[in-house]
Parts: sequence; C-alpha cells; structure tokens
Amino acid sequence: MTEPRFSMNRRDFLRGSFGVGAAAALAACGFSGDSATPSTSTGASSTAPMAQAKVDGDLVYYNWADYCDPTVLSGFKEKYGVNIVEANYDGYAGMLAKIQAGNAYDVALPGARYVELMRKQGLIQKIDKSQFKNADQLFGWGSYFDNPWYDPNSDYSTPFSMWTTGIAYRKDKVTTATGTWQDLWNEQAKGHIYVLDEDDEALGMAALKLGLDVNTANADDLAKIKDVLISQKPYLRAYSTDDINNLASGNAWIHHAWSGDFLNFINNTATDPENWVYELPTEGSPLNSDAWVIPANAPHPGTALLWLDWIMQPDNVVKNINYIAYPLLTKSGPDTYAKMAANYPSLQVDVSQVINPTVYKNHDATDQAARNAVWTEVKAA
Amino acid sequence: MSLQVEDAVVDLTTEKRRSPTRTRLWGALLAPPAIWMVVFFISSIAIVVLLSFGHVNDVGKAVFGFSLDNYKALADPVYLKVLLRSAMFAIATTVISLVLGYPVAYTIALHGGKYKNALVAFLVIPFFASYLIRMYAWSTLLADEGVVNQLIRDTGLSDGIRFLNTPGAVVAGLVYGSIVFMVLPIYASLERMDTALIEAGKDLYHSPLQTFFAVTVPATRAGMLGGVLLVFLPALGDFVAAQLLGGPSTYMIGNLIQQQFFEGHNQPLGSALTVVLMLALLVFMVFYLRATQRANRET
Repeated sequence: MTEPRFSMNRRDFLRGSFGVGAAAALAACGFSGDSATPSTSTGASSTAPMAQAKVDGDLVYYNWADYCDPTVLSGFKEKYGVNIVEANYDGYAGMLAKIQAGNAYDVALPGARYVELMRKQGLIQKIDKSQFKNADQLFGWGSYFDNPWYDPNSDYSTPFSMWTTGIAYRKDKVTTATGTWQDLWNEQAKGHIYVLDEDDEALGMAALKLGLDVNTANADDLAKIKDVLISQKPYLRAYSTDDINNLASGNAWIHHAWSGDFLNFINNTATDPENWVYELPTEGSPLNSDAWVIPANAPHPGTALLWLDWIMQPDNVVKNINYIAYPLLTKSGPDTYAKMAANYPSLQVDVSQVINPTVYKNHDATDQAARNAVWTEVKAA
Repeated sequence: MSLQVEDAVVDLTTEKRRSPTRTRLWGALLAPPAIWMVVFFISSIAIVVLLSFGHVNDVGKAVFGFSLDNYKALADPVYLKVLLRSAMFAIATTVISLVLGYPVAYTIALHGGKYKNALVAFLVIPFFASYLIRMYAWSTLLADEGVVNQLIRDTGLSDGIRFLNTPGAVVAGLVYGSIVFMVLPIYASLERMDTALIEAGKDLYHSPLQTFFAVTVPATRAGMLGGVLLVFLPALGDFVAAQLLGGPSTYMIGNLIQQQFFEGHNQPLGSALTVVLMLALLVFMVFYLRATQRANRET
C-alpha cells in the first residue's frame, strides 16, 4: 500500500517544525560571530556613496515621546509632502536594543555614549554635512561639537540637546533641603522621593554623593555605591524616569530629575511654579548631551538628511526650545534657552561643561556587567 | 483532556484508511498555522535558548557562545529573592482572583437568566483597551492628588491614602488585569453543570453551603484549575504592574528580564533568566495537565 504524501503523524510534524524553527532562528540571527561590526558595517558605509538630501520616502522617526514641537513635525510634512511615521522609546538602552534587533528607522536620538556605542557597532551611517543648508548653525563656529568626544568630527551624528541631572523638590513639603545629594534621603519627604530609573543616573548619583567617579567600575567603589543605594530604598516611593508626570500627580515631593524636564514641568504643567526648586547638588552633577543619527539600515536616508537639516533651521530651533525646554546645541540655541530659563540660575547649562568628568562613558563588557549587576541587586533588594 | 488524547489515537489509526487527497487537504490546511508557529514562536524560543549560552562582547553586542556563565550567575541569591517575591505576588493574585471571580461567575451562570451573555460581554469590554493603558489609568486615578484621593479628602474621611507604589497596588493591578481569565473558565464549567445536582444535594439534606462545597465546587474543578493556570502563569511573568504601580521594593522576575534586555545590555543573561522562568512555568503546566486529567477521569 502506498503511503499518502502527508502521512507524517503529529509527533513527526511537531519535531520537524521545531527543527525548522531552530534552524531558521540560527540562520536569521544577528548574534553569531564575535566581530564588532556586522555586515552593514562602518567600513561598508564609509566606502559606499553617502545619502543625498532629497525625499526618498516617508520619515520613520524614533525619539522620546513629546521631545519635538508638533508644529516642527507638521511643518516638515507640509514642506516636503511626506508623512512621519513616529515611534517612541523610554530609554536609550531600549532604543539600542530595538535597533540592534534590526528594526528600521530613518532617524533616532541617542544619548552621547550611545552614539559612540552605535558607531562602534556599525549601526549608524556616516553623514555628509555638505548636504545641509543649515550646517553653519551646528558646526564651524568654534562649537565643541565640531569634534565631540563620542563621535570624532561629528561624522556620524548631529548634536541636539544637553541637560544636567539634579534634584527637584516642592517647598511646601520640604523645608530642610541641604543642597547636596543627601536630599534624596530627606526625612520629611520619606516615601515621596523618586530616583531616576536609569542605571547610569542612579549609580552616578550615588558615586557623586560618595565623592567617586560617576563612571567607576572599581569593585570597592561599586560595593559602596550598592550599599548607599540600598540604604536609600526606605526613603523612596519608586524608581521612575517619568519625572514630569510624577511631579504633576503630587506623588513626588522630591525627584531626581533632568533639568529640561523640570523647566518643561514648570512652564507647561505646574499649577504653582513658585513652589518648586531645582537644585544642582554641591558634590557635582551629571551633564550630558544627545545627538541625531541615521541608522545604517534606514529605509529613507535622503528624507532623514532633510529632517536633520530641518531641525537645525533657526526658527525650528526656537520652536523646539520653547516646547521641550532643553537648550539646543546650535549657534543661537543656548542663548534662546538662557533667556527662557532666566529665573532659574540652577537650570543654566553651559556648552563648555559638555566636556566634564560627569559625562556617562562606555565600558568594556566586564565593567559594564559589574555595573549592571550592582543596579540589578539594588532594584531587586 | 484524556478524551482528546483518545480522539487523537483514533485519528492516527484511521489515517491509513483515508484517501490521499483528503489527507493532503488537511496537510495543506495545517501549513499556514505551522509556518506561523515556526516563524514567530519556535524560532524565537530557539533564539532565547541559544542566546542564554552566549555573552556580550566589548562593544555591547550580544553574541552566541557555549558557556554556562549566565546560568552560574543566576546562583546569586538576589535572583532567588526576586523569583520568590514574584511567586508570592502571583499566588496572592490567583487566590484573590478565585475568591472574587467565583461568585461573579456563579451569579452570571446560575442567576443571569436572559442577561447571561450580555453580562459576560460587559465583563470583557474593559479588556478591549490595552493592559498598559488600563494600568496607566489606575496610576492616574489612585495618585496622591488623583481623583480617588480627592474624593476621600472631600468626604473628610481621611487625609488621603497612599495607594500607589506598594506591593498591594501591584497585586491589585495584577488581579484587575487577569480576573476575567478566572471568571470565564469557571463560568463555562458552571454553565455545563447539571443544576439538578444542586437540587439533589439539597434533597439529601445538605445546607446550601454544604451543597456548594460537596457538589458545585467539585463539578467546576476543571474550570477553576483552568482559571488558576490562566491567571497564575501570566502573573508570574508580568512586569507592567510592578513597573507602573510598584514601588522601590516590588521588583518582579519580569522586570528583571526586561531590565537585562533593555537596560542592562545583557541579553544573554536575560535569556538565561527567561529559560529558567519557562522551566518553572512548565512545572506548573505539567501539574495542571495531570490535575485536569484526574478531574476528567473522576467526572
């Protein structure tokens, strides 16, 4: 008797499916090989002709939620007749994970250390600055970002904004602030204190409190940092990066916060702005920046270049500063911001500070794992 | 469950007698779901398992390997602590869902009358909105200066209650998110139950409560077990409730895995955690299968 072609029984079928699945996973997977640069490598993109600034499709845009004035977005759509497909992230590490996994975006906005990481991993493409009509706004006037630490000659990125990390608190509830990082252990606000849910920020805060380097990966230092952070837990309400909403909901009396978010909250959300203080602790405070990049696998790099050019156009810079409340790193950006934040000396940020010992840097695998382990233990404790 | 297994045996023995065209049709119909499962389910699990033996290179990229380092790292007591905490939350969620869900299912199934289907629909409607959105809604409603606390203050009962960022808030969120998965299977088994059994129980001089425990509960054991499984397993791996409603000390295993993937730049360690969690869940799954087999045999 001849067997029908589909005579395999259930078990064979399942076994076969699993085999095919495992094989497909291996074949399709980008995790094999120890090389730092995958096939879409920096080498390949530097020899390949760079993208030209002309519309080659809709803009697939990847950014923090609400980190761009909506009229700047709609203006771009109108001017170039394209749509903007928007996706958002809530942290740089998550953004990196998505791009590493092969998700294709035309533009993304990583923090400085992530720009370096993505450049080394071959995840972003070289940018031809001669394509920009507004290049003089960002480069060539003696800006530090002509050659920033994370991206030599800004070959792979265009700088966007900068900020400090400090402490926000409300005066009606907290009268015993000391102006140091100890304020995140304030007795009056016990149970109403938030710390930013970000490994660099939390470890950096503890390091500064202890007088250590924010980027330390030394075992003794990390042990001290861990103890300090665990000693803080009884004071905390939660770890969260949603600082604006935590301040607005009344849940936070003291918040480890970003300068721009604080000003944004004061200008747009707070019902009683005079009640709020932003302090830069005396032990020192982190100051960091971010930059736009075009991922190596961007489907529409031409439109992406037009976007980068669009957001450095002076009128759009002003709109964005007013909307997001962060100083942008163009020729006139810092002045516009300084006027806006005139009433808050602690919110002033000077570009010269971008080169400072409190900038978050990258680590090799062992050091990163050690820092990661501390953060995991703190969160899990 | 045992019935289905018998069906399968019958299928296989009769297969040889079927005409080739007919089996080919069934094979072809099986292809799309099989491809779907292979591409989106099996291959992703395979990647996770393989990656759990890998490591992270110096520029932060996860690469495959053949080391047990990630599993050794899990020996750290901190992971056990988080796993136990997650289990406590999941057990609390399951018990509360059962205690709250059973009366709801009972009322709808036995006293719902012609509104039965409408009531079930009402129960399901909130689940049209994303779980994440509903959790956000909770955190807004229950904030210190949110609507609920405002009402409490207006009535003068109290100065306001701190609901959020507590273990209780996490469990409440989990219960809210999953109770419908408890109600529906119990409802289905109550629907199937012959109500004459309850009358028989009463005829035998059982009090209503005795009847409930001697007749109704055993008759709906399969539904309860299904509900327990559907609530417990997702609750054990959940991270959204702890993230949005939890405090500094409510970290769950799902948060830990999410952290390794999205924050810690350590996908291999996250994969190892996932594998361990899947194995733990598998133990419960096997327990469930055996329990339902027994339940089916007894009824």
